[in-house]
Amino acid sequence: MSFVSNIFDMETLMSRFSFQEKMLWAQLLGLAAVVVFYAHYLVHAGPGHHYFHALLIAVIFFFASMQMVLRRGSGNVVEDERDESITAIGIWWSNMILWIGLVAILVMYWDNGGVHSVGALIGTIFHLLVLAGTVRIIRELVAYRMAA
Amino acid sequence: MSSPIRNTIRDLRGARSMTQQELADLIGMTRQTVNAIEGDKYSPSLEAAFRIADVFGVPLEVVFQYDRGKRK
Repeated sequence: MSFVSNIFDMETLMSRFSFQEKMLWAQLLGLAAVVVFYAHYLVHAGPGHHYFHALLIAVIFFFASMQMVLRRGSGNVVEDERDESITAIGIWWSNMILWIGLVAILVMYWDNGGVHSVGALIGTIFHLLVLAGTVRIIRELVAYRMAA
Repeated sequence: MSSPIRNTIRDLRGARSMTQQELADLIGMTRQTVNAIEGDKYSPSLEAAFRIADVFGVPLEVVFQYDRGKRK
């Protein structure tokens, strides 16, 4: 019977996802966990007494390392033209968010006549990067489900 | 919106008792991409289309057909 199911390609939940899609889900879950942590500490801790930025950088570093290790461990991970086109869609959205955000920051600071603090500026850019990354991941996951 | 390009990959595979994974390995794609092509959810590049036709040993038009009625 396994022969028949192979020919008809009965899909299990995990076989439905490619390596790239699984990694995107893992990144989204990691990011969501950090944002929940951030929101929790914004409510329960004073300003500056959370470790959101350090935690997020650690999560990004962790996923980059994990992806590299899993790629090597699984031997030949295929990345084909569909993966590349979906990555391009995600990058397009990410770039659009970054451009809009950067223009908005420039307009805001020019209109207000200066920067309140360097910390605030860096914080805004950091949140913009997180937003762009989140939008990229979600857009790529949508493209994978719609087959792009 | 589904693609105006139709294909007979599922039939050609079935006739050869070939799995999606086996076809994917032969054309250098993921099984998920083969599944998306079979379901008319993704249109492969011209090069990939020729590779698929080459695996089955048939002309391109046997594998892929253009549906004028569904033209975007």
